[in-house]
Amino acid sequence: MVNGHMETASVPSGLTLLEFLRDRLYLTGTKEGCGIGECGACTVLLDEKPVTACLVLAVEADGCTVETVEGEAADGQLSVLQRAFVETGAVQCGFCTPGMIMSARGLLRRDPNPSDNEIVEAMAGNLCRCTGYAAILEAVRLAAVAVAAQRAAGPLTGETVGSQPAAETLMGETGTERRRFLRGAESTRKDGRR
Amino acid sequence: MLGRFDYQRPSTLPEAGRLLAGNDGPAAVLAGGTDLLVDIRGRRHDPRILVDIKRIDALRRLDVDSAGALTIGAAVPLNEIIERAAIRRTLPGLVQAAESIATYQLRNRATAVGNLCNASPAADMAPILLALGADLMAWSPHGERTMPLSSLFVGVKKTCLAADEIATELRILAPEPGLRSGFLKQQRLRGHDLAVSSAAGTYAPSTGVLRLAVGSCAPTPLLLEPIEVGRSSKAVVEEKAVRAVQAAMRPISDTRASADYRRAVLPVLVKRLVADLLAEGGAP
Amino acid sequence: MTRELRVVGTSVLRDDAIDKVTGAARYTTDLAFPGMLHAAILTSPHASARIVHVDLEAARAVPGVRAVLAGSDLDVRLGLYLRDKRILARDVVRYQGEPVAAVAADTLDAAREACRRIRVEYDELPAVFDPRDAMAADAPLVHPDLASYDHMRGVFFPKPGTNVAHHQKIRKGDVRASLAAADVRIEASFYNPPVQHVPMETHASIAQALPESRVEIWTSSQSPYTVRHLLSACLGLPHAAIRVHVPYVGGGFGGKAGLGLEPLATVLSRAAGGRPVLVTATREQEFNTTPSRQGLHSTIKIGATRDGRITALEATYVWDAGAYADYGVNVGRAAAYSGAGPYAIDHCSIDSYVVYTNKVYGTAYRGFGHLEVLWGIERAMDQMARKLGLDPAEFRRRNLLKEGATTITGELFTAGHGKPVECLDAVAKAIDWGRPSGAPSAPHKVRGKGIAMLHKAPAMPTYTSCAAVIKLDEDGAADVLVSGVDYGQGTYTVLRQIAAEELGLPIGKVHLTWDCDTALTPYDWQTVASRFSYMGGNAVIEAAADCLRQLTAVAAQALGVAPETIVCQDEVAFPAAEPDRAISYKDLALGYTFPNGNAIGGPIIGHGRFIATGLTHLDPETGQGRPAQFWTYGAHAVEIEVDTETGEIEILHIATAVDAGKVLNPLSCTGQVIGGVVQGLGSTLLEGFQFDDKGRLLNPSFVDYKIPTAKDLPRRMTPIFLENPQSGGPYGARGVAEHPMISVPSAIGNALADALGIDYTVLPLSPERVLLGIQKREKTP
Repeated sequence: MVNGHMETASVPSGLTLLEFLRDRLYLTGTKEGCGIGECGACTVLLDEKPVTACLVLAVEADGCTVETVEGEAADGQLSVLQRAFVETGAVQCGFCTPGMIMSARGLLRRDPNPSDNEIVEAMAGNLCRCTGYAAILEAVRLAAVAVAAQRAAGPLTGETVGSQPAAETLMGETGTERRRFLRGAESTRKDGRR
Repeated sequence: MLGRFDYQRPSTLPEAGRLLAGNDGPAAVLAGGTDLLVDIRGRRHDPRILVDIKRIDALRRLDVDSAGALTIGAAVPLNEIIERAAIRRTLPGLVQAAESIATYQLRNRATAVGNLCNASPAADMAPILLALGADLMAWSPHGERTMPLSSLFVGVKKTCLAADEIATELRILAPEPGLRSGFLKQQRLRGHDLAVSSAAGTYAPSTGVLRLAVGSCAPTPLLLEPIEVGRSSKAVVEEKAVRAVQAAMRPISDTRASADYRRAVLPVLVKRLVADLLAEGGAP
Repeated sequence: MTRELRVVGTSVLRDDAIDKVTGAARYTTDLAFPGMLHAAILTSPHASARIVHVDLEAARAVPGVRAVLAGSDLDVRLGLYLRDKRILARDVVRYQGEPVAAVAADTLDAAREACRRIRVEYDELPAVFDPRDAMAADAPLVHPDLASYDHMRGVFFPKPGTNVAHHQKIRKGDVRASLAAADVRIEASFYNPPVQHVPMETHASIAQALPESRVEIWTSSQSPYTVRHLLSACLGLPHAAIRVHVPYVGGGFGGKAGLGLEPLATVLSRAAGGRPVLVTATREQEFNTTPSRQGLHSTIKIGATRDGRITALEATYVWDAGAYADYGVNVGRAAAYSGAGPYAIDHCSIDSYVVYTNKVYGTAYRGFGHLEVLWGIERAMDQMARKLGLDPAEFRRRNLLKEGATTITGELFTAGHGKPVECLDAVAKAIDWGRPSGAPSAPHKVRGKGIAMLHKAPAMPTYTSCAAVIKLDEDGAADVLVSGVDYGQGTYTVLRQIAAEELGLPIGKVHLTWDCDTALTPYDWQTVASRFSYMGGNAVIEAAADCLRQLTAVAAQALGVAPETIVCQDEVAFPAAEPDRAISYKDLALGYTFPNGNAIGGPIIGHGRFIATGLTHLDPETGQGRPAQFWTYGAHAVEIEVDTETGEIEILHIATAVDAGKVLNPLSCTGQVIGGVVQGLGSTLLEGFQFDDKGRLLNPSFVDYKIPTAKDLPRRMTPIFLENPQSGGPYGARGVAEHPMISVPSAIGNALADALGIDYTVLPLSPERVLLGIQKREKTP
């Protein structure tokens, strides 16, 4: 099963899961960054666990469930996690982002309320050269808190809310969480003076 | 594609043994694949057949018995060890070593036995398992054998396993009551890295024996002679341990570190480890 | 300047992020065309060798192979400022990792298999690896034919018969006499190793050769028009014969600024009969084959008066260009005119030599030489302060550029330049500079604080220009077209904000086309040098004004009033005195239709442009002139804790102040600072190429070339923005993208000296280097 669809294929033994997803299923959201499991850009969930698809043979995934970034948004609506990435500024060039999303998804599924250390541990296998990570860690924290807040608030419609990444919603719910990984970050000064 | 090879996924050891012994060229055992597939991609290894042992039920055991004896099957990924509460409680050193390996994603694939069979001098699971006196079980069509882990390593990336032999599980005897264990690793950064140097140890207050092993400082991981702590002061034991390590280590210079740095930093790790293990009320 | 801003200055979210979090964003390697072939590259195992023979026959025999090329098939030279390079090495190889042959095949596996079957016979030649050795009279010449190469004249000065690709001189005052007369002198030498950009997306290009020598290209590039221009020069084609598309780009940091794999993809496609060909650098090739940041050896002498005024600075910079000049010569030039730091110095002499060696070649990398020279300068400033017995911040405060001072190239420093002193004061305050650190967390640890200044101006031709087009849609929304590339830095969002601000549109009704296309999107030189928001922003302001002129003219005619009376805001145009007669943009965007059916106007398309003004070439002998459109100043202050037994450094706090002029988007600017600081930590603590004695790169992979991970963040990061307006900048803004990375090593090096009393001069400050330094000091009484 790939993103909920049964896929049947005959593949050469040497084909990686990454190649299968990208070249056979055209799920190009999953990226190749190094091919040796060091960068995390190809992170997908294999039976709900994050793995680097470049170091899994496609045949090894026979009979397993595979989830990729393409399965994260439901009906064209961003998940809370995806919105959190957009709203915190966790996305720059975006090449590491699909892998980051899947690492975060794996974490939040096994622990919807992770500690800061658990967030770092879960995300540290994904390299990013643009953002300096702080916003990404914030995004995962924000997503966890926002989902918890929604659960507490009442009936849930999955984890999906809204179609527009409106800055107010997630941030508003979690104002104090916003800068957890950027302790001390000062607000922008407008006047040029302290 | 990573390469041209056949892939087989046996469900029993005899079936795996037949595949490994087949005459279609060199075969390799595939567990987590996090070393093997990288080597194949880099063309340092070119097997004709990969024998995936992950569906052999017997190799998926991760058991802790009531006394605390531990069995780790060859197909058990590191994260299963890390997440097992009983192991976290009784053998924190083993968990620390496992957690120091690669990334969360890779630990969902990489296995403890695979880390050992790759036989890198920097294998992070080796020192702690050596210190714990682990035995390795190996199976081949000719029979099963048990060996002390220390006999597995014969050189850089070389083990004593025969071509048709499969390392099946690690066995660790029930720890002495109150056994303390620990693992320290020097890396180039806090993120995932191979060890520049590593040290692991156990200390059993009930017997007063300190066992130490070190990695990345010789062609194979090294188990040192046990140290009888007795009534010696912490400083004396630290000194003894450091001298033992200095006598045993034969570090090289490579891209990760110079021999000089390894020579400088390994005694620091050992000293800190011993201090932790001997500390009053130190973590069990 | 009292205008109320609605959109500019707010944290508008990036709309590209939606494509990126869903996996919908298409990067070059995600594209596929019918019949597309895949290419593999065979690289040289030697750093310097004659190619005696290349046998391609076995490669051609591999099933699925469509084209096999070696250097002998291609007699063209390429280069950015100096045409010294081949698409594939011809006759000789000049670095280990240099492309020697390439294959295009139906599958990547077939292409790789074919590459393995190519037999190349080499005859090894003498090689030179240290640029200082390469300057010796008897050094092997990397380019014996240097005299015959075309180069940009009047700007770069290669020295035929040597390995010097460029020598930049800066001469101001009488440095020799001033140094001799100085009360206090210091001299120090420093080194930065070559490093890699490490964009998460490696280089990738697709080319399709078309009839009549035309070619269409899709590429992971920062500079579509520069790719087109250089390819046109290299292949002798008119510009219109080359069409370059740039889809989403997965990071560049300067490494994708010039010509990359596009020429190779082009010639392979041609050889394969016009099938599209995708060439992707493997991660190993990204390290070993595509260009890096140059290494630098610096020697710096400073003279000062006893009361702490710098009177003279003399510096020699020897850049390790590697085998080809690429951007390296311009790095050597730009870093020279910035090469004394942001200080007012009356007597200055700088010699910056860009020197060929037999190593992977250098190019632009975020900061463009400034991280490297300021590693030396800002460390030397601390040494001088110490020798004078002055607080390093106070010493800098006395010498920083202030209104009325002149730079080392003779440029007058004005109020419109920003305020370096305020940057210094802001970071000093943020880390409680002057107060001792708290107690270290363990007995074997020590703490220290350090401070360092930074500055940089865009290094670009004096005539650099760009354009923007805004077209209004049927619904009155605006589409902005530009050819600068947003490869992560967020400029497109800023340009949307500017267009929305100027046009009176809500941000949701301003769109920006992501796929740059030289056939459709208007000219921009390159996306480098932190100049896109500044130049592109000004062009968008002008394009918006053009749209408004057209809207106003149609609205005025429709309403029968004078154009001067028309006000455009909130998506409507109306006479100032009669707001109730408003016509919506929607009813003007394609032309206005009167009730009787008569129509006027037509589709509104605005055009804006910007060209650098007032810049001059630098005098070849003195370096005097005006090289910079604007300067951005900043400072870092850090507090660190060092483990004296392992050599590890932990960053407890790093504060970064940048005088942005105007923060156009706080979220984006903060992202640039945090990202830049962490990238700077890589250069400081981890990164550097290692070569063996044959010039082979030893760490071309993530196993042994480490970049910071999420576990390697400082405990605390404090970005601070000052807003002293830039004259000529859009809303007073200046560029801030590269700057946060510059001087991170210097600040940490200074903190290390504070903590340990040891002056480290070589990067990276790895645990190994730090610990061995401590041990060495302990051994030397």
